[in-house]
Amino acid sequence: MSIGGSLPKDKRIGALVPEGRQEIEDTVRATLCDVLGLAPERVADFAPETPLFGALPELDSMAVAGLLTELEDRLGILIEDDDVDGDTLETFGALTRFASAKALQ
Amino acid sequence: MIADYDWAGGTEAMLRFGPDTGPVMVAILPLFEEANRTRTFAVRLLRLLAGRGIAGVLPDIPGQSESMVPLESLTLLRMSEAIEGLVDQFASAGRRAYGIGIRSGALLDTLALLDGRWHFAPMAGNELLRELHRIWRAADPDRHKGDIQAMAFGSDGPVEIAGNLIGSDLLAGLIAAEPFDQSGIPRRIVRLDSDPRPADRHLPGTPLWRRSEPDDDPALAGLLADDIASWIAQCEA
Repeated sequence: MSIGGSLPKDKRIGALVPEGRQEIEDTVRATLCDVLGLAPERVADFAPETPLFGALPELDSMAVAGLLTELEDRLGILIEDDDVDGDTLETFGALTRFASAKALQ
Repeated sequence: MIADYDWAGGTEAMLRFGPDTGPVMVAILPLFEEANRTRTFAVRLLRLLAGRGIAGVLPDIPGQSESMVPLESLTLLRMSEAIEGLVDQFASAGRRAYGIGIRSGALLDTLALLDGRWHFAPMAGNELLRELHRIWRAADPDRHKGDIQAMAFGSDGPVEIAGNLIGSDLLAGLIAAEPFDQSGIPRRIVRLDSDPRPADRHLPGTPLWRRSEPDDDPALAGLLADDIASWIAQCEA
């Protein structure tokens, strides 16, 4: 039984999974912001060549785990840990390309 | 106000908010590390509900927070029995109880005789296992190899994951654990806008459970308190 102005369960609303490249980049930006607790204006300035792993003290190995899981949830993708290497998180551009390749498969 | 509750395995502490009469919201924090990251937020939420005249409690789950019970000795079933004991305590005092399950906290309200379940960003046990496995692998990539089975059953004793000693029975129990949708009992699911999975409602806010340091989101707490208050009003009508 579902009450509270809600729809029956089989009609529960799912927000749309981001699909376009720009949408995916925006999602990666928002996820970095939310997981690492960075200021939105700082993340808005990230360019493709902006370094991430090793350059952001917030991005330690635990945070990487949370970041990957949150990207999976938001983009509706599955990331095998073996797919992730040192290069994946080297720059904002590399991470966005990785996420796009997974999401647009 | 700090109080105690009894369950089959002992006594645990809880924080109480709001009036001593009427229905009680039982907030259940996520398991393990996420509990630390969401506690401040849950306290804010219960304070806001108290301000709306709704009682609430935030129990220590055995093996979590300040509990003296070693986590490695616990299973999902035992933790669920604790919530059952707490809800029975309110039931014997003639008060109805509703669950607020946050993330994997939504896996611990299965035994309790609740009058309704309000789940915020609920997750299945196998999703939590995947996350734990990822953290376990990242902690020591040279030694921590293999799949979830290797993590859960690869050693004789409990597995240390991000500072928590977790027994293999608890990990095994997560494989098939799902948030409980009890027939005939109201259940409402609320998720963040950034979470594309189905829900009764999506709201803007921060996934505080991902932050390495505890944080807060007062605007989100306000939205959730309003949502819970109107849901309770309909459940109680």
